[in-house]
Amino acid sequence: MNKNYNSKLAIFIFAFPTLLLFTAFVVYPIIPELIISFQNNDGFKNMGYVGFDNYRSVLTSATFWKSNANTLIIVAISTFVGLPISLLLALLMDRQVEGIRRFFKLSSVFPAVLSVTVIGQMWIAIYEPQWGVINSLLRSIGLDNLALEWLSDKRTVVVAIAIAFLWQYIGLNALLFYTGIKSIPKTYYEAATIDGASFLKTSIKITIPLLQDVTKYLLVLSVLGCMSQFAHVRIMTAGGPGDASRTVIYQLYYTAFSASDYGQGCAIAILFVIECLILTLIINKFVAREKIEF
Amino acid sequence: MKQKVINSIIKITLVIIGLTFLFPLYWMVNLSFKSKSEVYDNPFGLPKEWVFSNYGDALEKFNFLRYLSNSVIYSIGTIIITILLGSMFAYCVSRMNWRFKNTALTYVSLGLIIPVQVVIIPLLIMVKNMGLKDTHLGLILPYSAFALSSCILMLYAFFRTLPKELEEAACIDGCNIYQTFFKVILPTIKPAIATQFALIFMNTYNEFFLAFILAANDNIRPLPVGLLNFFVSIGVSHWGQIGAAMVITSIPTVLVYLFGNEQIENALTAGAILK
Repeated sequence: MNKNYNSKLAIFIFAFPTLLLFTAFVVYPIIPELIISFQNNDGFKNMGYVGFDNYRSVLTSATFWKSNANTLIIVAISTFVGLPISLLLALLMDRQVEGIRRFFKLSSVFPAVLSVTVIGQMWIAIYEPQWGVINSLLRSIGLDNLALEWLSDKRTVVVAIAIAFLWQYIGLNALLFYTGIKSIPKTYYEAATIDGASFLKTSIKITIPLLQDVTKYLLVLSVLGCMSQFAHVRIMTAGGPGDASRTVIYQLYYTAFSASDYGQGCAIAILFVIECLILTLIINKFVAREKIEF
Repeated sequence: MKQKVINSIIKITLVIIGLTFLFPLYWMVNLSFKSKSEVYDNPFGLPKEWVFSNYGDALEKFNFLRYLSNSVIYSIGTIIITILLGSMFAYCVSRMNWRFKNTALTYVSLGLIIPVQVVIIPLLIMVKNMGLKDTHLGLILPYSAFALSSCILMLYAFFRTLPKELEEAACIDGCNIYQTFFKVILPTIKPAIATQFALIFMNTYNEFFLAFILAANDNIRPLPVGLLNFFVSIGVSHWGQIGAAMVITSIPTVLVYLFGNEQIENALTAGAILK
């Protein structure tokens, strides 16, 4: 049997196709990306190496910093508002009868499995200034002056997009938290039940600390997902009004494909990788310092 | 008593929140039966006058079947390539003896932290240079490459729990390693493959970013991008038709989800359990 498992040919046949495909499309592209980021490149040809000029232009561009701020707003809202709500929903769901839990599980994933184009379009209708849900509600309770043009107002557009994005994944994240809660052995709760600890106390002292791994996983997933946000912005506002709602990836897309500056586009991509690495390191440093074994 | 009241409030809140998650379904079906003007007067209530012609009009302008077949080609192509290559690689790393297998596994798991958005510019250039622009393969290959990491890690975890006796028996029966893998191992890991199938389907079928940039030609656009183009072409002048197009687009997803929701739930939550 071992003869089979030592065969160099078999190992090659089993492993090589994956390594080739993965290297070609995931890892290798970083090399031309680095090279192009030092070129004056319009997508058709290289018009000479320009040193760090692309990076300099990107880092001194107000739009780039604006797009970073917008992205961080979306990250912050999803992380500090979205995830706690998801956790709360999961904790509440855990205490419910099977029927409600089944209904909630079934419905909570719907926004995440529907096409982002549909969800984006729905939120356009919700935010519509004349007849959208939000403004109709505000007018009906007499708050006419609060009925803004949510998606064409520079002050509200980013938060409005962040809320649409948060809503789409809040149910799915709740389900993920719930799966984590289910995997905590019942024995942990026995002592608490005997002591008559309340739901709040059990949650804070037992459930939430034991959810560290899931929390960390969701944090990374949510932060990276928000960082690379593009679709909702493209569908709901196309980065507008003006450049008010561009995210970093939208700015990358715009620079490379609308302004035909591949050099600066690649520079943005490299800077973006660095930002993502820093954020991942921060999460790793602050969350889940100890490994929990059940 | 007080406990009971609180519990009922929580119950009702959960049901209401659950219903808001279903709101898009209600909204688009409702919208699809409204006339052009009623959308503005009565945007969210039930239609006063049911207009069925929106579907015919939308289908006339919106090439649903073409986009749907493209989406299906992308999903199925990506599923086949990813699961075939991924399972072979995961098996090779978990069972065969070679020096760099752990390095190879770590290398492949790098894919989990490289967002596809980062490499879009070189990817577009590569696809052009390889002559794959405006072909289905031009999207299937990057999709598969980016789906491989999580597929391999999950199947690898699965293989490690699988007893070696199966393979030993197959070996005694005279199977070579390829026969063992395709005839004995693959059928045994069906549940894991089903989970991966659901996960890759959901991710590819709804993928927007790569499709938006790489599939510039209308002939190879998948549904999410085709739908956006339809919205742009029609403007916001006729929400009834927009609603109809959204309903038609969502029917396949909703059907897949209703019949396979357990599988999809497993797939979506698999990552959280996989530590």
